[in-house]
Amino acid sequence: MTPIVSLRNVQKYYGTFHALRGIDLDIAQGEFFSLLGPSGCGKTTLLRTIAGFEEISSGTLVLSGQDMAGVPANKRPTNMVFQSYAIFPHLSVAENVAFGLRRRSELDKAAKLKLVEHSLQMVGLDGFGARAAHALSGGQRQRVALARALILKPKVLLLDEPLSALDKKLREQMQNELRSLQRHVGITFILVTHDQEEALIMSDRIAVMFDGEIAQLADPQTLYRRPTSRKVADFIGVMNFLPARTKADGVEIQGLGHAKIAAEQCPAGTPSGDCTVGIRPETMSILFGDEPAPARETHGKVHELAYYGDMTYYDMALDGVEKPVTLSMKNLVGRRVLERGETARIAWDERALVVFA
Amino acid sequence: MTWLRGYAALYLLFLYAPIILLPMFAFNDSTIIAFPLSGFTTQWFAEIPNTPALVKSVQTSVFIAVITALLSTTLGICAARAGAKYRFPFKAPILGFIMLPLVLPEIIVAVSILVVLLALGLPLGLWTVVLGHTLICTPFCIAILNSAFSNLDPSLEEASFDLGESRWSTFRLITLPLVMPGIISALLISFTISLDEFIIAFFLTGTEPTLPVYLWGQLRFPQKIPVVMALGTILVALSVVLLIIAEIARRRGIARTGGKDTGGFL
Repeated sequence: MTPIVSLRNVQKYYGTFHALRGIDLDIAQGEFFSLLGPSGCGKTTLLRTIAGFEEISSGTLVLSGQDMAGVPANKRPTNMVFQSYAIFPHLSVAENVAFGLRRRSELDKAAKLKLVEHSLQMVGLDGFGARAAHALSGGQRQRVALARALILKPKVLLLDEPLSALDKKLREQMQNELRSLQRHVGITFILVTHDQEEALIMSDRIAVMFDGEIAQLADPQTLYRRPTSRKVADFIGVMNFLPARTKADGVEIQGLGHAKIAAEQCPAGTPSGDCTVGIRPETMSILFGDEPAPARETHGKVHELAYYGDMTYYDMALDGVEKPVTLSMKNLVGRRVLERGETARIAWDERALVVFA
Repeated sequence: MTWLRGYAALYLLFLYAPIILLPMFAFNDSTIIAFPLSGFTTQWFAEIPNTPALVKSVQTSVFIAVITALLSTTLGICAARAGAKYRFPFKAPILGFIMLPLVLPEIIVAVSILVVLLALGLPLGLWTVVLGHTLICTPFCIAILNSAFSNLDPSLEEASFDLGESRWSTFRLITLPLVMPGIISALLISFTISLDEFIIAFFLTGTEPTLPVYLWGQLRFPQKIPVVMALGTILVALSVVLLIIAEIARRRGIARTGGKDTGGFL
């Protein structure tokens, strides 16, 4: 199937600043795609070049089979939900939603009204049409912005950090709603976010960007389990990094000992000599009493701990390792929270390791 | 802090006592400007329309003020929009130079324009006064419109463009309605400034004096002074009303775009 969005070697310069360094990207019809990265990584620039607000310096951008060179934003099959929502403050909710229909002369007034009503219903704002736009709450503005963009049935909906201005509870609710809305309408969504959790929850695929380049492009599970670089691993969730040396049949890890490694655990290629081993906090656990270790076992001393209610995060000092490793434990019924300075047995599993050169 | 209050009271008295005297003598039944007041009359107001030269000078001034307001507000819109939206080389010095007439002594502006006009051999008249007034009013318009344009979220224009409108229809449908209160405010303030401006008008006017220039000429005739006071009263009242309307318009504009109030004149 031909991709709905296709970028080939896209470069963008602002003066001497190289904002996009050769982006190659194909996004399929109906996909929920996220551009994830720290601020200044080029993710918003990339979104704005797709929207047509920024011209690309070189390379090609094809939307729905059509080369977008010289096509301005108002002629592109994309619509955008802005970070500030950009609700027109002098218009009512219905006028905002109907704004894009002004140029659809083939529709009569009744048809337009029906479309507006349907759009508002879709985002859960039926009956809000007559309200003044500036009197809405943050979450309602967000919905109006969505309805206004989706009423035009764009080929691609672009979302620029749409949830960053909402509080935590509302953000989590909107994440679910956006996801089910996207499945319902079947339109390709491209989301820009700096929140890795948000990207993992919502996306079919994620492109992690650093310094104007795509560092890794993968589905959420692959991205989390098999990051191709320390930088990506560090950006997505928490990962402990331990110095190691490659051996004939695996790696010798400081503090953990010898481990066998499968080829798929080296997503960045098979290392040789000194390397770094990554391990996620939730793949390790504390062993209480004489509980047997399911796989491998080591021991350490509680250096620091953070109690989160549902979870406790321990920083454990291992023998021969400079930096304590972080591990997380669910606070199950009857499970004790360790104290600072206490020594404990730690379970870990070689299958959870990722090796970086 | 009682002495600070006293200072504030004295300061306000010093500022406004002369303006309060103006209506007092305008309604005083005597040609001599002195206390005690002798009685109430409206005859000086009644005399205004019976003085053809005065009426003519009012017409001249209003004409100049309207043209000046339109010109300087148009220039102000262009400059404020460019300043808020675009980045270009030497932006700060260019905008600084546009604002300079705000602090330049008017007498210097007036003399320099006069020298240039004479050197070019252009005749003095209504249009030379309009030129001078536009020069000094434009910075005021920019100052007002800057707050209107910089409170405007740039994504509003992008959203309209993204939804299929052209650059021009976006300006008409989104930008203009949102900055309209600022535009009204700029029009009113530049109109007011032009209407009572004296120095530039005095230097650049031809055979048709503006109102302030005419009034200044009448001060040599003591019996005319009460009429001047009456007219002055009307002008002060008009100026205050226009400035209040301008400020209300500016504040409404800020409330409308949901921005923060970052200045203004009142």
